[in-house]
Amino acid sequence: MGTPGPDKAPGKPGKSFALRWLALNEKTRFSLLLLAPSGIMLILFQIVPILIGANASFRDWSLYDPQRTWVGLQHYIYILTDPNFLYLVLPNTLLLMVSSVSIGLVLGLALAHMLNKHFFGHAIVQTVILLPLMVAPVIASMMMRWIFNDQFGVVAAVIGALGFGQIAWLSDRWPSFAIIVFTDVWLWTPWFTILLLAGLRSLPKEPYEAAAIDAASKWRVFTHVTLPMMRPIMAVCIVIRSIDCFRTFDQVWVISGGGPARQTEVFSIYAYTEAFVYLNFGRGTAAAIIGAIIIGTLGWGLYKLLNRFMEVSR
Amino acid sequence: MAEVKLTQVNKRYGNIHAVHDVDLTVADEEFVVLVGPSGCGKSTTLRMVAGLEEISGGTIDIGGRVVNDLPPRDRDIAMVFQNYALYQHMTVYDNLAFGLRNRKVPEADIRKEIDRAASILGIQPLMARKPKQLSGGQQQRVALGRCIVRNPAVFLFDEPLSNLDAKLRAQMRIELKELRTRVATTSIYVTHDQVEAMTLGDRIVVMKDGLVQQIGTPLELYRTPANRFVGSFLGSPAMNFVDVTVVQKNGGLVLSDFGADIVLPDAMAAALAGHVGKNVVIGLRPEHILMGEGSSEGTIRLDGSIVLTEQLGAQQLVELRVGERTVMAAGVDPDLRLQGGDAGRFSIALDRVHVFAAGDSGPVLWSAGKGQVTAPLRHVS
Amino acid sequence: MSVATDTGYTPPKRGSFLDALAPGGKRAFFLLSVLGVLLIFAFPVFWLVLTSMRPAWGVYYVHRGLEFTLGNYLEVLEQEVVVHAFFNSFVIATLSTFFSLTVTVTSGYMLSRFTGKLANAWFGTIYIFRTIPYITWVLPLYFVTQWWGIFDTYLGLLLPHIAVHICFFSWLMKGFFDGIDPSMESAALIDGCTRWGAFLRVALPSALPGIAALSILCWLWTWNEFLFALILTSHNTPMITVVMAQFVSELGTEWNLMSATAVMAMVPALIVAIFGQKYVVRGLKV
Ligand SMILES: Nc1ncnc2c1ncn2[C@@H]1O[C@H](COP(=O)(O)OP(=O)(O)OP(=O)(O)O)[C@@H](O)[C@H]1O
Ligand SMILES: [Mg+2]
Repeated sequence: MGTPGPDKAPGKPGKSFALRWLALNEKTRFSLLLLAPSGIMLILFQIVPILIGANASFRDWSLYDPQRTWVGLQHYIYILTDPNFLYLVLPNTLLLMVSSVSIGLVLGLALAHMLNKHFFGHAIVQTVILLPLMVAPVIASMMMRWIFNDQFGVVAAVIGALGFGQIAWLSDRWPSFAIIVFTDVWLWTPWFTILLLAGLRSLPKEPYEAAAIDAASKWRVFTHVTLPMMRPIMAVCIVIRSIDCFRTFDQVWVISGGGPARQTEVFSIYAYTEAFVYLNFGRGTAAAIIGAIIIGTLGWGLYKLLNRFMEVSR
Repeated sequence: MAEVKLTQVNKRYGNIHAVHDVDLTVADEEFVVLVGPSGCGKSTTLRMVAGLEEISGGTIDIGGRVVNDLPPRDRDIAMVFQNYALYQHMTVYDNLAFGLRNRKVPEADIRKEIDRAASILGIQPLMARKPKQLSGGQQQRVALGRCIVRNPAVFLFDEPLSNLDAKLRAQMRIELKELRTRVATTSIYVTHDQVEAMTLGDRIVVMKDGLVQQIGTPLELYRTPANRFVGSFLGSPAMNFVDVTVVQKNGGLVLSDFGADIVLPDAMAAALAGHVGKNVVIGLRPEHILMGEGSSEGTIRLDGSIVLTEQLGAQQLVELRVGERTVMAAGVDPDLRLQGGDAGRFSIALDRVHVFAAGDSGPVLWSAGKGQVTAPLRHVS
Repeated sequence: MSVATDTGYTPPKRGSFLDALAPGGKRAFFLLSVLGVLLIFAFPVFWLVLTSMRPAWGVYYVHRGLEFTLGNYLEVLEQEVVVHAFFNSFVIATLSTFFSLTVTVTSGYMLSRFTGKLANAWFGTIYIFRTIPYITWVLPLYFVTQWWGIFDTYLGLLLPHIAVHICFFSWLMKGFFDGIDPSMESAALIDGCTRWGAFLRVALPSALPGIAALSILCWLWTWNEFLFALILTSHNTPMITVVMAQFVSELGTEWNLMSATAVMAMVPALIVAIFGQKYVVRGLKV
């Protein structure tokens, strides 16, 4: 990992380290000092744990039985052949990612468009739209759980009043999953909205004037002028949000706990459950590492995609 | 009060050789202008003097002290930046005081210095404002003030006027000129505007691709450019260049073929003797092309046609076609009635002609300003 | 809520129902969609507040009856663990905001002002570690913090919370500094500052609006954070999000108490939504 820092002079005696430090030119020294705090924190609290986790994933490392025999790839093989992981966890995670990101993006774009106009009550509407951004996922999930409560929830009441039968929201896979997606969208649409709004506001005026002169219809202006210019910022939003969405934990944990019968488990829950519920730490870290590899690959692909739209590389 | 001396100064960014063996001595209280096209290494040179860029090779000496390894703060310099670089979060007063406070100057003296600078620049009423509340010209004055209060040994300017509109730029140019009479300090001034270079500089350094092309007073550079590039860079409208060939004819040398062969006088022929059969370039300043016969001896007369005219009020610019080439004449009497398509005879005083070797920066082979043209010139048709 | 609604236009040939509306009708439709949006975003919060103020016996019929009480809040606050958790969350959020920003502001500055191998390597590292899911390094941290003797302490939670923001914040900070003209720092160097002086006295003050916005968001994110708190704390250092999640499973039916706790946990968020929004929006250049 490319984080050479003053902290990382590997195992040299102090004197030679001091000498080498002084031999650097002062610009390099300055940049190393700027980087050192972040570098040290990253090494201690991300790189070291990941290495320890990688080590653990090859061992039989149970929480209360520190035997820790080397078992090689056994955990990995177990997970990659576990039907739960293959047919529930992985599809759930990807489905959540795709649906939440795409719905959030479309809604966010629409809302950003709305907020980009001036109308009476603009300030209130903006405040309300940004509200979920500030609510803890845990709280939001509790709210949704209560609203969708099978017997006493307000949704059940409304459906009942309309004369439809009740839906057992949290005891079936797809209704539970729908609530999770809804909560995620509720939580993150504001995030799309403010970033896309910032993008919209920074767009140059000239293309719009040119389009107006060409008497382009508003829909055509949107698809042919706005969207192409918004592409870079949309790409950034999609990449960041997808990466974050992949590791969703809180919402699922509080709303369904992965249930019923592990049917709504996503990857983070799976790893957590293996480690802390089944107390199989080795298997939990192996799952976590598999997840990291998957999202790393996906993220790399998305990054490539992003690079095509804009020059992120320096 | 200091002399600045650059000796064989180089700057490399990886493979890019941005500044190449620059030798330059700026005398005490002298105002030297670095000029050249974009990317030629002017700013880089200036920033090396300031200590903002490391020097890849050579030495820089300020006031008799090699400063290669000194940080900017120890070099006793002040600098004005293209975008003013005022501290956005400080008032104008604090901007001016910043450098002095860093040097632990007593607050009373700071106030005195700032009052002095502010009255020179006329910025007293702006003291409590933030830079964002100032116009471009005002920001520029504050940036100048920030240098003046420091009383440094050297002023460095990096295109200080290029962010201003044309009118303000002309005005600030005059103010800078006046400022020089009141605050005489060694100065290096970077610009890509040849008018600024000509009007402000005691001496001008013309650079291209990291190389110094020529150093001299404005008139020297204008009259005796060392190469085609310098000739083309200074002067507006720009110098005309005409490709010709040196040919041996009738026992003498002629330049072929600009309308007709130009028979060279002896001195010129001697200078071009080594170029027989080669292409060379004639450089003609537009104001040295005269409409009509011309009077004196040593004049080439050419027949051509007028392509178009530009009426400027004080003078006319006339674009002329001779054979397949066009040249621009300036300084034509504005009352002269000329029209595109008209045939016209015009003349060139040969004692103003430059001859360069072929190529974009071909060195000068003959420059009338240098040597006296002795023999009368003949024009063969 | 289609996009066409927002632009107030529908292509004629598609025969959208908007065509049928009178000119005033479009306006009405726009207003309706605004109201719809407000409903979706505000209703869950409103419902939670309403629930938190209903007496225990009325909680299952929140929408029937007009009896309201603040008793739920008092009852919740009598529980020591809740008060403790609020205090802990406040301390951790505040400290981690301070240190996260301190640590990342320098690395962001470095990324913005330096080019070359080191900066490129750091930029790549940040991108890679940004993609790694939290669970991948927080699971092992459960052991690591125990070995280091900081499990279930402030330090054991604070340090990972600082680490978690390094990648994203460094990237954002780079953006803030990219928006600041580096010649200002050159001027400061010439005016007698060291590199540190130019950074601290000139670049940093200019980046403050962005940093202020980020500090508000960082505080909220840490306050709202759940996974770290769940794994890295136990009885000694309860955090409010974990306590609430436990309520859901333990007092599964006492929605009035849970709602009261949740509403109290949302108070900082509401304060920010109302007063801090201006700074967030301004600092992030929205
Ligand atoms: N940090 C850098 N890294 C790599 N190359 C650089 C860097 N800074 C400048 N250069 C290169 O050095 C050369 C000289 O740049 P410099 O800024 O001195 O030009 P300039 O003469 O000031 O031009 P301008 O009139 O546009 O300001 C250019 O080719 C430029 O691309
Ligand atoms: Mg420059």
